[in-house]
Formats: sequence, structure tokens, C-alpha cells
Amino acid sequence: MKRIEVKLAVPVVAPLLDVIRALGETPSVAAPGVTVPPDADADLRGAWIGELAAAETTEVRALLALFDEVFFREGIVAFDAENAAVILRACSVLRLRLRESYLRAWGDDALESGDVEAGPFEPGGQKAMGCFLFLATVQELILQHLGDSILAN
Amino acid sequence: MSGGKPEVLAEEALRYATVGAWRVVVLNDPVNLMSYVVLVFRKVLGFDEATARRKMLEVHEQGRSVVWSGLREKAEAYAFTLQEWHLSAVVEPDEAH
Repeated sequence: MKRIEVKLAVPVVAPLLDVIRALGETPSVAAPGVTVPPDADADLRGAWIGELAAAETTEVRALLALFDEVFFREGIVAFDAENAAVILRACSVLRLRLRESYLRAWGDDALESGDVEAGPFEPGGQKAMGCFLFLATVQELILQHLGDSILAN
Repeated sequence: MSGGKPEVLAEEALRYATVGAWRVVVLNDPVNLMSYVVLVFRKVLGFDEATARRKMLEVHEQGRSVVWSGLREKAEAYAFTLQEWHLSAVVEPDEAH
């Protein structure tokens, strides 16, 4: 099984994990982008939102589980064909929630282009932006090295 | 596309004519990476690389792209799976049918 190990700077990444933990606590509202079909009855609406929320919780827990004792001792996290898809999705939903919670002031053009070196920071925004960019880097690594594995599974 | 059993295809065609078609539309967001969207389209919808990239660019440049159309139940299933991958996907009636 293909596996990649990434060496990270613990002092840089550790503070970002606090942001992820805060965002990843049991979601109280549906994630951005969740839209129930028109005319859905209460049962479908509840199942739709509930299942997506449960999946989101699972994804974020899987991501946080990467940052275990080994990470804090050696700074290494590993991705493979088994965890690639769930980590990819965790990064996606966390980035969406970061935008909702902290990064609105940046504007969508800046977020989309990645041209975010300077701009207005809301309280907590600097750490949130660091987290936003860190999660994108994780996604790019997975897509580059494990994209084929995700498609094959 | 072909390959289904004739009786199943006939049943689907009848339902299609009776209840109308629905479509799955993916909306642009400023967060998800282009390469991520391409992968999701390939994974969920079975697009080849070129189709996935073309549809991704439609979403990016025009704000939306119709990625599938057909029976409502299947449209909902696709929309749900795309939302599991955190894309903004909606189901809407296909006015063309």
C-alpha cells in the first residue's frame, strides 16, 4: 500500500490543532454547502442533515487522530490509501467552516486565488488563515501522491 | 450509455416520462481546490479526467455546472454523495424535459 510520511514543524502546527478541535466539535449547524432537496419531508431532511453531520464528525476525528504522540515526538504524520479520502474530506469541510467563522473579511477572490499574504484579520483570523493554508497543503499532498489510490478504492 | 437489462431500462424510461427529469447542479465555492473538485467528479460521477476538468472549469467560471440529470432518486443520491465530499450540490427540476 502506498504511504507518504510528512515531517512537520510541531511548534507551527500544534497551535493550528486548537482551531481544528474547536471547529470539529459536534457540529451544531449543517456544514456550508449542505442543501436538502426541494420538497423534502421532515424525515428526509433530518436524515440528510444528520448523516452529513455524523460523517463530518468522523472525518475531523480521523484528521485529529493523525496528530498523536508520534507526531508530537517526531513531527511526522502519515497518509495512505486507507485514510486519504477521509482526511481529504476533513480538510475540505474544515476549510469551509474556517471561511464561515473567521475568513469572510478576506473576500472570496482572495481565498480562491490563494493571494492572502496581506489582508484584514478578524480576531483569531491569523491563526485561522494559517490553518486554512495548512489544510490546503495537506490536500495537495494527498491529491498529488494518493489521488490514484482514492479513485481505485 | 447502454448495458442495462431491457425491462429495467423500460421501467426507468416510463418513470422518466411520468415524473420528469431532475438534474444535479454543482455550485462554485471559493474554498475547494480545483484539483480536489476534479477528483471528486471522477470518483463520484465516474467522469474521465478531461470531462471532470471541463465540468470543474464550468463551475469555476460560470458559477455552476449541471453534472447529471435523470430520475429524482438518483439525482438525490448523487447530490448527497457530492455533499459528503463537501461540494455545493443541489437538485432541481430539469426544465428541458
